[in-house]
Amino acid sequence: MLRIEELTVRFGAETVLDRVTLELPAGASLAVVGESGAGKTTLGLAVTGLTVGRLQGRILWGGTDLLTLPPEEFRRLRWNEIALVLQHGGDNLHPGLTIEQQVTEPMIEHDRHKPAAARERARRLLREVGLAPEKHRAFPHTLSGGERQQALIAMALANDPGLIILDEPTSGLDTVTRRDILALLHGLSGRCALLLLTHDLAAASALAGRTAVLYRGQVVEEGPSGKVLRGPRHPYTRGLLRAYPNMTTTKDLQGIPGRAHRTHGGHGGLHPHTHDYTHHPHPHGTHRHGPEADPATGDGRSRHRGCPFHPRCTQAVAPCPTTRPPLAGEEDGHRLACHRGGIVPLLQVRGISKRYGAVRALEQVTLTLYEGETLAVVGQSGSGKTTLANVIMGLTAPEAGEVWLEQEKVARRDRDFYRRVQMVFQDPAASISHRHTVLQAVAEPLLLHLGGRLQDHTDTVRRVLEEVQLPSDDLFLQRYPHHMSGGENQRVAIARALTLGPKLLVADEPTSALDASIQAKIFRLLLQLQEERGLALLLITHDLALARKVCDRLVVLQAGRVIETGPSDQITTSPVHPHTRTLVAAAPAFCSGCENK
Amino acid sequence: MRGKLINYLIALLIILTLNFLLPRLMPGDPLQAIHGGEMLVELTPEREAELLRRYALDQPLPRQFANYLGRLAGGDLGRSYYYAVPVSEVIRGALPWTLLLAGSALVLSSVAGILLGIEAGWRRDRPADRALVGLTGLLNGFPDFLIGALLLVVFGAGLAWFPVSGALTPYAGLAGPALAADVARHLALPLTALTLANLAGMFLLTRGAMLGTIRERYVLTARAKGLRDRTIRYRHAGRAAMSPVAARLGVRVGRLMVGLLFIETIFAYPGVGHMLHQALTMRDYPLLQGFFLVIAVTVLAANLLADIIQHRIDPRSGHAY
Repeated sequence: MLRIEELTVRFGAETVLDRVTLELPAGASLAVVGESGAGKTTLGLAVTGLTVGRLQGRILWGGTDLLTLPPEEFRRLRWNEIALVLQHGGDNLHPGLTIEQQVTEPMIEHDRHKPAAARERARRLLREVGLAPEKHRAFPHTLSGGERQQALIAMALANDPGLIILDEPTSGLDTVTRRDILALLHGLSGRCALLLLTHDLAAASALAGRTAVLYRGQVVEEGPSGKVLRGPRHPYTRGLLRAYPNMTTTKDLQGIPGRAHRTHGGHGGLHPHTHDYTHHPHPHGTHRHGPEADPATGDGRSRHRGCPFHPRCTQAVAPCPTTRPPLAGEEDGHRLACHRGGIVPLLQVRGISKRYGAVRALEQVTLTLYEGETLAVVGQSGSGKTTLANVIMGLTAPEAGEVWLEQEKVARRDRDFYRRVQMVFQDPAASISHRHTVLQAVAEPLLLHLGGRLQDHTDTVRRVLEEVQLPSDDLFLQRYPHHMSGGENQRVAIARALTLGPKLLVADEPTSALDASIQAKIFRLLLQLQEERGLALLLITHDLALARKVCDRLVVLQAGRVIETGPSDQITTSPVHPHTRTLVAAAPAFCSGCENK
Repeated sequence: MRGKLINYLIALLIILTLNFLLPRLMPGDPLQAIHGGEMLVELTPEREAELLRRYALDQPLPRQFANYLGRLAGGDLGRSYYYAVPVSEVIRGALPWTLLLAGSALVLSSVAGILLGIEAGWRRDRPADRALVGLTGLLNGFPDFLIGALLLVVFGAGLAWFPVSGALTPYAGLAGPALAADVARHLALPLTALTLANLAGMFLLTRGAMLGTIRERYVLTARAKGLRDRTIRYRHAGRAAMSPVAARLGVRVGRLMVGLLFIETIFAYPGVGHMLHQALTMRDYPLLQGFFLVIAVTVLAANLLADIIQHRIDPRSGHAY
């Protein structure tokens, strides 16, 4: 079994892995996911003793600390106990040796088999991984990418190791080949432990029992793959998942604000020095490359402090840039390194009830909206959607229940509340007075909250108008609502809602009166703002088809009650409640086989 | 490979043409070369015409070329003006010495250059590597003839450890081991000179190729496989580094021939280079053509061999055509 404790790897002044602690029991599988440059490859090379960086911490393999192992003993351990399949499949095979020679080689070199027996075993392994016998004596360049990957896996199995490290085993493969390789790797489970270093999140979820998320050399989240990949707690993990195209998620792809580049220059992927393995035959030898930076000074230091993700995080608070959050355990061994305990619940609605006479508009409605998330409240007309929005905004008083904002109970709707929460109504006329010019309408919240004169806020108004892709020239600023189209008016209303930089936007059917093309633009804009500043959206809509494209989660209301809630893909593909099924079935779709009508 | 062979045949044809034309384009006159300067005074027009006819120099060029090709097909390379014996006979006399000298030099410089190149490339920037690069850089700066002349002056003339000319002691009547020792003593200096002159290029080429292959991912995989250092160095990195080295074999044989001309001349070693120099000064066209042909075919064969070796080392290379 493998146990990595507080592993730090530095190349000169650069820290590539920062106090990484991971555990991989015998026969189990662990995926380490993250973007290029996160340190995945360095982790694999460190465990096999092939990185030339300076290493601190411990890598325990069955109780032996590999970092203190004499080079010759480490050499004998390689491939016999830990095998490594590097990324870029084909390049890892020698171009001048046949596949069979290369699979046979480690068995002979480690004196495990006589040449004839080794060749026999090599052929058996190659057949086992699915490589046709006539290709066993081929040179690597004549094989396809998938066949080379098969050959590499057969090679990794040659000496029956206890652990195989696979660096990006699926990159560069077409989807069918990728599926075959995943099936092959899946068949290895139990035979040996697998350490999967990959950016392929679906491969991680298919193969690994546990998944660790690596960001700039630090583990930010770790836990059972199902939990980490379907219910991410760390903002980075969520960002990674939102950017990952797959057949499950229905929401549009979103990126992560900022860049993961290292502060100086930034070389994605491998540190160039990691290629210079051969003239440093032993990882513990003296490191002669570059200046030996003092970790206590200079550039190296700033990255050691604080959460590595804080410059890109939309919910960073005071300690984030200065103190590194510990990777703390939760139930089920789901560990998380975040000062805010993961993605914070921005808005919590708890047991809200509201009656209009005999009509129960809302009955014990409870829902949670997380930071940077879109939550849609869907339902038919009269299901209580708009009442819910009004209760949240304080426009209607509920009989029972509480509204919590940023984990604090909302006692009264003061300026501070409206600075953080804004609303966009279905009809732009409800937001903007017909007597206001664009400038006056958009600047109004600024005047209310910040004071000053209209002219002082012109620049802010122009910036916000540009953000919602409206003109910002003087002519436009002097327009009145009746000069503009419905789409323009709604965008002015959105601009007005955004001037104070709210964390939450409650939008009640914001685009139902608009053309689909304008609607698409407005939602692209809102999702972009969500990506950039973590804007949370509570979308009140009856349009399930729209909701599944823009929402992370759905809440289905019927007659004032929450009847179903869950990820939007789950609700729209396998609804449980009969009424949800009705809604899904009624949602607009192009019928299949209509081409000939 | 078939298309390649056709390429080689075309090259051979071009070589034959050039081989025929080049000596005729050189300044000077063969008759003058054969009969010396006084010929200008003594030569009567009748005698000149007769001589030209005897050497078939009066015929038009295409005719001369056709004759040349026809006789070549029959193994007849013509008759040396100067030695007045068939050219093939002269070549047969010179070729074994050249094969001995150039072949040994090629093998020695290749083996030493490749081994040193692999070891130095593996230890890039370490003291041993730096020393070798410095030394070979210096060696590379010396022209072949300078190395030859230095060896000749120091070990031949100065210390008199080795004979200064010839391939064996004439009229000594040696046989068996004594003959072999005599040949070896005569070979020592020219062989050392030629080996040293070619060692640096081989070393630098191999070292450079090693610097590329040690960064390859299959070398990292070889290390991950826990292979012994020597296995990685030679079977993986070194083997792959041989591909560009083999590709340069043809060029290197050509360069070796140039060195041979100087070294054999300096040491009056009776090989192709020395005899070529003689033929050149005598404007012995048929002999020159014969030697050129031998050299050109050798270089061409070396290129073909290089292609075959390279394909064996790196099977991908064949696909580049």
